[in-house]
Amino acid sequence: MERPISPFMFPMWYRFQITSALSILHRLTGIALSVGLIVLAWWLISVAVGGEIFRLTRAVLVSPIGTIALFGWSVAFFYHLCSGIRHLAWDAGLGFDLRVVYRSGYGVLAATVLLTGLTWLYVLTR
Amino acid sequence: MDKPRSSSHVTALRDDAVLRRVRYLGSARDGLGEWQLQRWTAIALIPLGLYFVASILSLASADRAMVVTWLSGLVPALLVVFLMAAALAHSYAGLRSIFADYVHERRASFVAELLLRAATAVLFGSSILAVLRIFLGRTGV
Repeated sequence: MERPISPFMFPMWYRFQITSALSILHRLTGIALSVGLIVLAWWLISVAVGGEIFRLTRAVLVSPIGTIALFGWSVAFFYHLCSGIRHLAWDAGLGFDLRVVYRSGYGVLAATVLLTGLTWLYVLTR
Repeated sequence: MDKPRSSSHVTALRDDAVLRRVRYLGSARDGLGEWQLQRWTAIALIPLGLYFVASILSLASADRAMVVTWLSGLVPALLVVFLMAAALAHSYAGLRSIFADYVHERRASFVAELLLRAATAVLFGSSILAVLRIFLGRTGV
């Protein structure tokens, strides 16, 4: 067997658990949001340039695929925001008790669903 | 002896007390700054991100004239510039840490670093220029 390097435990040697799943989700949403930054920069440029480029950008963003992507980015944004606050609390030395860790994990998931739901409720009922 | 480059170089621990230069793929001794950058930008991005999402939601489904009017204000333009700067720096630090974990080959990690830096610089420059152009009214409504 080749010697394992850095993150190698998941999923072969690790039993599934919410803590590691949330940690991986934090990274995945971070990657998604980084890709989102490209779109955000492009959108800003399209607003500055205007004309056909803005119309095309807007058409793509409000198309079904664009809307699904925006929904995905909104989930990623709210999850990364809530999970990030959890990480900052750990950096400050708070919330290391295992029961608190589990509770804050489920709290992050609930807050993500709530914030995403409220956001799209606002968009769709306007 | 070299000039001290970081605070850890001027602590009481000297060469004979600790192995300061970890061999092979050890610590590069300059990770703390990036770790701190990731945290400071994370804290800044909480209000900046929420402000941006709230602003986008209040704009009528991205009608261009409304976006231009919004970014013509000094405070919104400044906050969007701060948002892009903080988000790109945060993204840079985060992606770098992911590369450090998953890209093991030397050449691949060099290419990844190069592309990441180039993309970050291009995105920062172009988005700042875009906001500036809207703010200065150099664009037709």
